[in-house]
Amino acid sequence: MARQQTDHAPSHFPSRTLVLDNGAHTLKAGIASPDSRPDKCHTVPNCIARSHRDKRTYIGPELTAECDDFGELAFRRPVEKGYIVNWESEKAIWERSILDKKAPRDLQCEPQETTLVLSEPPSAPAQLQRNADEMVFEEFGFAGYARVLAPALSSYAPSPFASTAQSPSGLPLECLLVVDAGHSHTTTTPLYHGRPLHGSIRRLEVGGKTLTNQMKELISRTFDVHREDWLVGEIKEDVCYVSQAFNADLERVWKGGRHDPRRPDASVVVDYVLPDYETIKRGFARPHDPSVNLRNRALGIGTEGGRREHILTIGNERFVVPELLFTPSDIGLPQAGLPSTILQSIHSLPASLHQAFLANIVVTGGTSKISGFLERLEAELRSMVDSDMLVRVARAEDPVRNAWLGGARLAQSREAMEKVTVTRRDYLENGEGWVRRVFAGKTGR
Amino acid sequence: MASGPLRFRTPHIEELATAQSRQTPGFAWVAVSGGQGDPAKNWGTSNRKRQRTSLGGQTEQQKEALSARQQREIERKIRDLSSDNSKDARELPIPKRDGSSSGGGGAARPGKTTNTKRILASGKTFAHYLDDEEAEIIRTGRRDVDLEAPTQSAAQRPSKTPLHRRKVRENSAASVTPEPTTASSRPPPKLQTAQSSSGPEVVEVPVDSLADESLRLPTEAELEALLNAPPLTYNEARSAPPSSGAPAPRRFCETCGYWGRVRCMKCGSMVCSVTCKDDHDQFKCLKMYA
Repeated sequence: MARQQTDHAPSHFPSRTLVLDNGAHTLKAGIASPDSRPDKCHTVPNCIARSHRDKRTYIGPELTAECDDFGELAFRRPVEKGYIVNWESEKAIWERSILDKKAPRDLQCEPQETTLVLSEPPSAPAQLQRNADEMVFEEFGFAGYARVLAPALSSYAPSPFASTAQSPSGLPLECLLVVDAGHSHTTTTPLYHGRPLHGSIRRLEVGGKTLTNQMKELISRTFDVHREDWLVGEIKEDVCYVSQAFNADLERVWKGGRHDPRRPDASVVVDYVLPDYETIKRGFARPHDPSVNLRNRALGIGTEGGRREHILTIGNERFVVPELLFTPSDIGLPQAGLPSTILQSIHSLPASLHQAFLANIVVTGGTSKISGFLERLEAELRSMVDSDMLVRVARAEDPVRNAWLGGARLAQSREAMEKVTVTRRDYLENGEGWVRRVFAGKTGR
Repeated sequence: MASGPLRFRTPHIEELATAQSRQTPGFAWVAVSGGQGDPAKNWGTSNRKRQRTSLGGQTEQQKEALSARQQREIERKIRDLSSDNSKDARELPIPKRDGSSSGGGGAARPGKTTNTKRILASGKTFAHYLDDEEAEIIRTGRRDVDLEAPTQSAAQRPSKTPLHRRKVRENSAASVTPEPTTASSRPPPKLQTAQSSSGPEVVEVPVDSLADESLRLPTEAELEALLNAPPLTYNEARSAPPSSGAPAPRRFCETCGYWGRVRCMKCGSMVCSVTCKDDHDQFKCLKMYA
């Protein structure tokens, strides 16, 4: 009888699949459909924000849809260090963005008839995995569930290398080293046919969040922005770049000593016009104008339309902040930079595999969108390995939604899905320990 | 033992060199350094300031305290930089959802089962979970009891699953095991069985499927062993520090961000130029009277 039941299980296999890449900064969610275009994916802030100005609390998507004033928002993020820690707030956000009636039409789903593909970062503590499994089945009641490493999902996404033939959906790339530069940290994961080589996963504890916080510290030397997380995040996205020649760039923007004043290079220094959330909704950068009178600007004299402009001059902060990814020792962090971390990961594998992974490095994650990141990474890697080795580094076409896209392509292949999915009945029969063994690939079914 | 005229049983007392002086009632160790105690060498220096400069700016104790403080400062800074939430986020309440809005109904209820009630109500942070896991590893010597249960023994059942169900699982496992044989036409999907590594019918990956790589890959068994390696713990996966041959950490000016070329004698932070030093002294130097 039992055999019959398990044989029947595939026929009860839910037809809809919700792919959810639950990042620390944004969650990427969408129902997998045959065409699996990235624009099916909704990017939702994964936080609960409280505004001190209008005394309102914004949950997840409300922040981008309804909030007008991003000043002095206090954030509460359910995801800490990449892992879902606070399920109380995560549940509120999921309900608001996926399960609610207010959720977008193409995202609404009945958990009882849906399979959930949930991403997780590597090397998660066991208790947190247990919590996730229990919440998905017992609280939300999803019919099927697959907890997959986010880099493993990325390996199902189309290859960013032009020369590689595109594989049909549902098939992972053969050899791949995914560098996931996320909000909490940067991980390097070698994958073989979509299966992670667990012993070689490394993590550099510098992520978008670290950069934002460092930016906040540096700007606060001249102008206090300690409470403006959202604003500093926007400034970082707008002006930061990875320097290709750090020493020279730093020299260019030095103001000089007392007796040998120099003029900082105008191509680096920018004026950032701060938003006031009335006339200027989002801040923007423009070339630095040393003749500008800040006080007059603040009073609205000499500006276009007579609007009041508050200006922040940003110089070496533009490239000193992303430099942390390559030289974490600048803040005293006892970890090697990203290129060395990648090599640590590769060198822990047999020598015959080195070339395969060095030639297939794919960069994903929002932090990798900083301009110059890819060039610097490739240049440093190139200088660190033998010249007869081929080094190829590419950024995924859409670095933020790459894991989601991979998940959506995985979900199209029924056969591949059945291999990774645990149904609710399996969970009720076999318990959570068994489910965790399945997700770790330790048990056959 | 008692060979000599030993009358009193006294414990062996040894004086350990220490740089610290500790105050005990009626008794004090005082660290005496160098020629300081010699009045012939520093005659007439009742001036404490001069005494200090003759020692090269700072005493050992002061230097030690300074470096310890800087270390603490660095650790605090890194903690701040990697904080996820805003400072006052702990008190940030989650607004109650109106119960009708959820499809499941009763969304405001804190959890549907005992497990989820416990999870939802727990106020643990990531640091708590990490400490729990480390303690668990020390206690059991293994990372994850769940994951290793089936490999211990086939006879001992890991779960409450009835016996007949378990038999089914093994059968289906056997049907999955020959999967690698098809590797030539189609790469094996992820999450494969652990048995294929130990099983006798291990199949080599045909070379033609890997023709685009110039190097010979390790055998299938080696790869399986790599793929089935247990995941590293959170702390093990951390990137290792740079090698000892790496250049010393760069220091930057606290005021303007240029190279830090001069250290402030009072607080130990770096500045680049006289202009920045003035600014530092005026507004930022935290140690006014050192």
